[in-house]
Amino acid sequence: MARDDTFPRRTYLKGAGASGTVALTGLAGCTLGGGGDGDGGDGDGGGDTGTGGSTDTGEDTTPLTIAGTVPETGSFSSLGQDLKRGYELGVERMNETLDREVELILRDDESDAQTLREQLQAIVSNNDVNMIWGSFSSLLVTAGSAFAENQGLPFLGIAFAYEEPHRNSNYEWTFAPFPKSRDVARSTLGTIELVPEENRPTNIGIWEPNSGWGKEQADYWEETLGDAGYEIVMRETFEIGASDFSTLISQAQSANVEVLLSNPTPGGGITAVNQMKSNNWAPKMLKFVRGADPSAWWSALGQDGAYALMCPGWVPGLTGNGNQQLRETYMSTYDTESQYMPANVGGSYNLTQVAEQAVVAAGSVEPEAIREALRNEEFQTVIGTFSFEDNGLPSEGELTAPTGQWWEGAQRLAFPNTDSERALDFKYPIPPWSER
Amino acid sequence: MVASDLLTQSVVNGLLLGGIYALAALGLSLVFGIMDIVNLAHGHMLMVGAYVAILVFTATGITPLVGMLLAMALMFGLGVLLQKVLLKHVVDEGLEQPIIVLFGLALVLQNLGRVILGGDARTADIGIPGNGFDIGIAFMSFPRTVTFVVAVLLIVATWAFLQYTKTGQAIRATAQNRTAAKYMGIDTDQIYVITLGIGTALAGAAGALLSMLFPIDPYVGWSYLLKTFAVVVLGGVGSVVGTLVGGLILGVSENLGALYLGGGYRNVVSLLIFLGVLLVKPEGLFGSSGGGE
Repeated sequence: MARDDTFPRRTYLKGAGASGTVALTGLAGCTLGGGGDGDGGDGDGGGDTGTGGSTDTGEDTTPLTIAGTVPETGSFSSLGQDLKRGYELGVERMNETLDREVELILRDDESDAQTLREQLQAIVSNNDVNMIWGSFSSLLVTAGSAFAENQGLPFLGIAFAYEEPHRNSNYEWTFAPFPKSRDVARSTLGTIELVPEENRPTNIGIWEPNSGWGKEQADYWEETLGDAGYEIVMRETFEIGASDFSTLISQAQSANVEVLLSNPTPGGGITAVNQMKSNNWAPKMLKFVRGADPSAWWSALGQDGAYALMCPGWVPGLTGNGNQQLRETYMSTYDTESQYMPANVGGSYNLTQVAEQAVVAAGSVEPEAIREALRNEEFQTVIGTFSFEDNGLPSEGELTAPTGQWWEGAQRLAFPNTDSERALDFKYPIPPWSER
Repeated sequence: MVASDLLTQSVVNGLLLGGIYALAALGLSLVFGIMDIVNLAHGHMLMVGAYVAILVFTATGITPLVGMLLAMALMFGLGVLLQKVLLKHVVDEGLEQPIIVLFGLALVLQNLGRVILGGDARTADIGIPGNGFDIGIAFMSFPRTVTFVVAVLLIVATWAFLQYTKTGQAIRATAQNRTAAKYMGIDTDQIYVITLGIGTALAGAAGALLSMLFPIDPYVGWSYLLKTFAVVVLGGVGSVVGTLVGGLILGVSENLGALYLGGGYRNVVSLLIFLGVLLVKPEGLFGSSGGGE
């Protein structure tokens, strides 16, 4: 485990300094999650308190420095700007509301895990970083998370539905304010059940990318929908990066798939829909988690991209917890004609809300204090109200994964129902190509 | 048990795709068979051709089929330039030196693509009206059918050029024995220039056709190089007919591999066939009828 091998230098220095007071109160060494796991003796335990999240350090106005990357180029570049805008709006808000200066040092990770690590290393080496914010996709977010775990710095990552790393990688610093695979599956069920029972589809097809998250998500879909009485008529794997979906399309058609579920890359999702059209086949309901997230979906597909569902963590149509403020700030900050914000702006803005509330609760920018606040506080953000398990997963059942649907060039909330005018009534079924 | 209609559809899809694979491999096969050069930049030349078609389509809305002609002209020029400026200095220096030069060129093209056009995948629409149609045993996707027909026409045109034109005969003579061809008065240096020009033009054409079906990014060159190399080995170096058959086999085996074993095995099956041919008939299925000294 990284923490055993590499003593976090910054953690020690800070823990011995600013957090020393906490350690001297006699709480030092009381680790969460059972303690006594062999880690308590290292310096990490010095500032680790069971209730440290509410520790008050008085008039501490130490600046908060955050390192982060976004994919401004490379295969996920279509999402980079949206993520960046959410971060920027959030940092602006934090600078207005917190009694400390907040600086976000953001670099382009080129959609590449190695570049991401190099960029984070460069930032952390040259700055007194207190926290790290993630990128996009399980691939990049887990790379950032591994770096943060090694450094002993709190890490917040969105667009990261993959649960297994939380359970098996002994995360201590990683927190994902984002709906996870299980939530995505429940949300899918909820969306299907919006359809009146007499018209409701029964045949489910799953295209499973050959990745850990692909299998996890497919397992959740199969279990959740199977238990609810739906028939899984197709479950086939495909290679991430594949560009020929013709065989899968033929298989789906042959199996009479009505609801097609998958979690391809954005490029893969767009290619798949193009090939569905050229093969003259469409399901009645299509959900591409992550694949249909970016604005590039509509710019590449136009009307052919309509009806597609996605689960990007936040969708226009959600209400409460700062959604109105987010919308007003976004509209006044960025010159846009659309009345609907891109989904990933909300997702990354939600991350900044978690960061802000954690720092307020910690009363400090010390990594341990922030971590304890993340573990102990309840967070109210534009995606909902939730807390975290010790492994950084949102607590079971607290988050409803909002499902959005592409309609007239915008992603709009289809599930759950809200009274927002930006939400829509779930559009079902997808008509045949000849009628579109 | 796979339904027969699904099997037929997969075979048809594979054949349609295989036609483009064959076109993509033909340039590599010609250059390999005639010049004894393994063009490691062939996949990246394909990528450049694809980008030309995509950029023309994006800027003007003109079908990539027209962009393909521009891509072929540009790529022919690139091939001529490449032979005259770079390869002529190393073409007689054994296998290694041209390979190193072309590997370097592949990296240059890839990075130029990334810097100039960005890392995002792009694609083009076929840009002409038309719908797919049912032939009873399978559904024919319109873009795949059109690109297949164009690919086969180009392959037939290349075959006819090599068979029936003076230049084509000179190319074949050079492939059979360069020294003898020289004694017969053939300007073999010029033949090399023309051959590389044709090889790169065919790569450009294949790239333009592929841009109508699949996304293209600056990194696709390596995967298409692997596929085209497999086709060349399957069909036999320098054999036009062999390349066509090899392409069709690759396309069908990819689709059947995906159908029976899952998408993750798509390339595994086709490459196993490639290895099998190497073991049993290393000169390729049509190797004896092709060129090569």
